[in-house]
Amino acid sequence: MRAPWPALLLLLVQTAALADDGEPEGPTYPSLKLGGFTDINFFVTDDDAADPKSGFKEGQFTLHFSSALAARVSFFAEVTLNARSDETKIDLERSIVKYDHSDVFKLSLGKYHTPINWWNVAFHHGQWLQTTVSRPEMTQFGGEFIPVHFVGALAEGSIPAGGINLGYRLGAGNGRGSVLTRGGDAGDVNDSRAWLANLYVRPDAAYALQAGVAYYDDRLTIARDDAEQELDETIVSAFVVWTKETPEVLAEYARSTREDRATGQQFDASAFYVQLAYRLPVLHEKLKPYVRYEKIETEGGDPLFSKLTDRDGVLGGVRYDFSDYVAIKLEYKSQEIAGGDAIGTGSLQVALAF
Amino acid sequence: MRVHALLATLVLSALPLLGAFTAQAGDIAVVVHPGVKLDDVPFAELRKILLGDRQFWSAGQKVAIIVRSGAAPERSVLLDRVYQMNDSQYRQYWVGKVFKNEATAAPKAVSSNEAALELVGVTPGAVALVDVDDVPAGVKQLKVDGLKPGDKGYPLQR
Repeated sequence: MRAPWPALLLLLVQTAALADDGEPEGPTYPSLKLGGFTDINFFVTDDDAADPKSGFKEGQFTLHFSSALAARVSFFAEVTLNARSDETKIDLERSIVKYDHSDVFKLSLGKYHTPINWWNVAFHHGQWLQTTVSRPEMTQFGGEFIPVHFVGALAEGSIPAGGINLGYRLGAGNGRGSVLTRGGDAGDVNDSRAWLANLYVRPDAAYALQAGVAYYDDRLTIARDDAEQELDETIVSAFVVWTKETPEVLAEYARSTREDRATGQQFDASAFYVQLAYRLPVLHEKLKPYVRYEKIETEGGDPLFSKLTDRDGVLGGVRYDFSDYVAIKLEYKSQEIAGGDAIGTGSLQVALAF
Repeated sequence: MRVHALLATLVLSALPLLGAFTAQAGDIAVVVHPGVKLDDVPFAELRKILLGDRQFWSAGQKVAIIVRSGAAPERSVLLDRVYQMNDSQYRQYWVGKVFKNEATAAPKAVSSNEAALELVGVTPGAVALVDVDDVPAGVKQLKVDGLKPGDKGYPLQR
């Protein structure tokens, strides 16, 4: 008797052909997509306070979950893993369910990157997305200047407005948490909600140009040794960016004001940065040198900024896009903190998207 | 004989007129799902639609973008004329778009015009750029700035 393998093989091939009848696929729900970023760094610094002064450093491991749940409903989540000396800390950075009614009106609920400035929304955890190694000091992770996360609700949209494409974001939520560098994930610290308004334009005539302003207002309740301190915080900011890479121009300014509700004493702080980059027409356009200047000014005795002091810095570097999803960056940063000697830090970073 | 000469003259005279109704080789058509209630789109609006900045057609239908993958002339026209980006910048653009929660995914990429046309036919709100010579009769095409493929000044030419 002849072995049945040729007939079985033929049957398998025919079955596979029938299973894939070539029907094109329309949208299906849910449609989960996974992606993320991570980076590996090497640094060396002459900062006397740093220990160690050099070494490799694991960057954030960031996972994105993006899913269309229906034609007009979507969900997005972002989880990060951060290396610490004694553990790997896991954080739910964003969790947003959104309903798209139209281009003019979209409504979402969840935890966001606070749309109080451009960098916080455009790059935040995306090391591979941003040109530089270092984030501006005003949007540093664990930084105090702006509340980088926000838990609440957001209405947003874009109105053509004769070709200037006026965009808006209006939000209400928990604002800063009991740990001032974090959002009120587990609940607000008081009965006063934070709210924000963000307006920006992206004109048709120059579609790489985006400019806007934002306003943020919140009441903070800070636990002190003997009592709670309540502060009214307002932040106003403005930005203008040109996102084509020949050149790339990013500029932002923010002013933060806190008023002690008990004493009426007011504290101001301001920050700005200007960043320029240019993708060179050499080496298959893989090289992009850059430079950035930034400055933060605070007032002494500011009850909010325990760690944030005046700083003035300049950095320069080059980004090399090794492949479509891998970038190598070499950067030198010089920063003066509180009028002290300049601290120099050199960094080599491999950043990738997956 | 005179009749034949007259007929020949008439036919030969009419030949140049045929060029006015024939799309030039290399024109890229904008094809859409038959349910899209639009016949003409300004180039600036088409750019916003293909960039994902405008996510709804005027009638409230959600846009579904379909692009050619690989070294296709449709992709070249999309990147050069519409996006003004190279391939790497295009990829980074859409990663950023999803990261900012402005899109759930990058546009669907297909490897042939046949696949693009099939998907456009079954996906409500779909739009794709396809070589006009590959577009069969009956597939809905949009004019751009009031121009159709073959018209002088049509913006999507190779």
